This record gives sequence, C-alpha cells and structure tokens, in this order.
Amino acid sequence: MHKLLFGVLMAVIWWMLHALQWDEERAMGLLFEVKRAVNRAAHAAAQQADRDKLEMGIPSIDPGLARAAADMYLRANLRLDRDLLPLPHSPLRHPPAVLVFDVINEDHEFPYTYYNPEYDYRVVLERPGVVMVVRAEYPRLFAVLEPVVWYVKGAAELVHV
Amino acid sequence: MKQLLVFVLFAPLFCWLAFSPVYKHVLLIRQALLQQEADYLLEIGASGAYGYIDRDMVAESRLRLASHRFRPELLEYDISSTNGMPADQPSAPLPRGVGLRLEIRYPYERLLDIDRLIGLDPPGSDGRIVASGMKMSEYVP
Repeated sequence: MHKLLFGVLMAVIWWMLHALQWDEERAMGLLFEVKRAVNRAAHAAAQQADRDKLEMGIPSIDPGLARAAADMYLRANLRLDRDLLPLPHSPLRHPPAVLVFDVINEDHEFPYTYYNPEYDYRVVLERPGVVMVVRAEYPRLFAVLEPVVWYVKGAAELVHV
Repeated sequence: MKQLLVFVLFAPLFCWLAFSPVYKHVLLIRQALLQQEADYLLEIGASGAYGYIDRDMVAESRLRLASHRFRPELLEYDISSTNGMPADQPSAPLPRGVGLRLEIRYPYERLLDIDRLIGLDPPGSDGRIVASGMKMSEYVP
C-alpha cells in the first residue's frame, strides 16, 4: 500500500514540476510576443511624420496620428479588439495597458537621452522618436506559478526619407 | 500480483506522464521557430529596401524551416497588406505607412495524440500552429 501511495505522490510532484516548467516557458514566450508587438507599435507610431513640418524641412512626428497607429499595431499583433480587450485567439486574457506613450519631437536637442525613472527605462534617440511602456499580465494555466506581470518597454525613431 | 495489476491499471497514465512533456516541448519549440521565421521575414520584408515578401523569400524561408525538420510542403504562408494591395509583388512594393501582414501555419502532425491516453481529444486535422505579425512598411519610392 505504501508503495502505491509513494508512486501517486511522485506522479503528482513530477506533474507539478512539468506544469511549472511549461507555464514558465509560456510566460517567457508571452514576454517576447508583447515585446514584438510593442516594437512594431512604436515603429509604426514613429513613422507618422508631420507633413506640414516636413515640407519646411523639420522632421517631426504627429502625436495624434502616432497614437492611433500605435494602438492599431498593438491590436493587430496581440489580437485585441477596439477597446484593447483580448479576442479569442489572443495570447492575453486581461487587457494590456499602455502606461507610457511619449513622443520626442524636434523641440529636444538630438542625440537626446530619454529617461523614465518610474520604469527605469533609458534610451538614446538620434532622431525624433516614440517611447512606449505596456503592462501585460500572463494568463496562468496552473496555479503552481506565481502571477506574472510584464512591463514591456520599446522605442523607435523616425526613419528618414 | 497486486503490484502488477496496479501497474497495468495505471499504465496509460504512466506513459502519458513520462512522454507527454517531450511532445509538449516539441510543440513549444516549433511554435517558437515559426514565430522567429515570421519575425525575420517581416523585419526584412517591411524594411526600406523591399516593402514586400515575394515568392523567392518564401521559398528560402521554407528551406530554413526544413533544416529544423519541418516538412516544407505543409507550411502555409499568408501574406497581405492593410490597404488591400498585394504584398508579394517586387514590382509594386508597399509604400511607407502601409502595414505588411504575415501568417505562417503548420499542422500539429499528431503531436497531441498522446493526450488521448488521459481522455483529451487532440485538435482535428485542420488545427494549425500559427505564427503571425504585422509591421509597417518603410519603403519610400
């Protein structure tokens, strides 16, 4: 009898270790997926050149268009709906939050060192650019893993014409 | 005798416990490889030098994935753009501001069949591992 009990106990521990491993791998996968989405959103936002200023020879980003582009690319890459709520095939279960969306425009001197003390994010921009921080929560499969929340940071510069 | 009976009773469960993590791992790696390939194609395709993902790029991508034991003929590539223009024409690259969308699909290839041992149904033959992404083109004519 005690052998059977031992066997069952070992099976449970074995399975818990695998559940933990699997969940951790998926959580890392989510980090990379959100990072890609944030990079692409920042990249799309940074390409929204202000045409009126560009005609005068000043490379500058239109903040309104930039935000719309960032939201659109975030939605497309993370499969979210209009209000950033996850769709059925989304890797997320809770809506992500865009915590920081800063447009660094021509009123700064370049190269400009952007520093955000709240999220400890430092980036040097050579040209006008966009900085984003997104909060995403990993939907756990098993309660073996502690809750995982990622703060994903990304930046992109205006690509010159 | 009793021990043998217990073993026979629990044999499917033991098999599943022992071998299903290996299959799960292969699934995770395949998903990661597909995603890496999708990222690479998007990075190149959306760059200022191209603005498209054409037939040759897809053929090279199939070869790269084949070296990781994917069967190239089963890979499906879906390339589109946000404004409806064809995104696989080198003669008409997507201009800056238009999004390039890519989806790579691959069948599960019976990787989840082992879950039948514990009574879970594997995804049907139309189930696919999917890697996708959308990136804005940087191409300026």
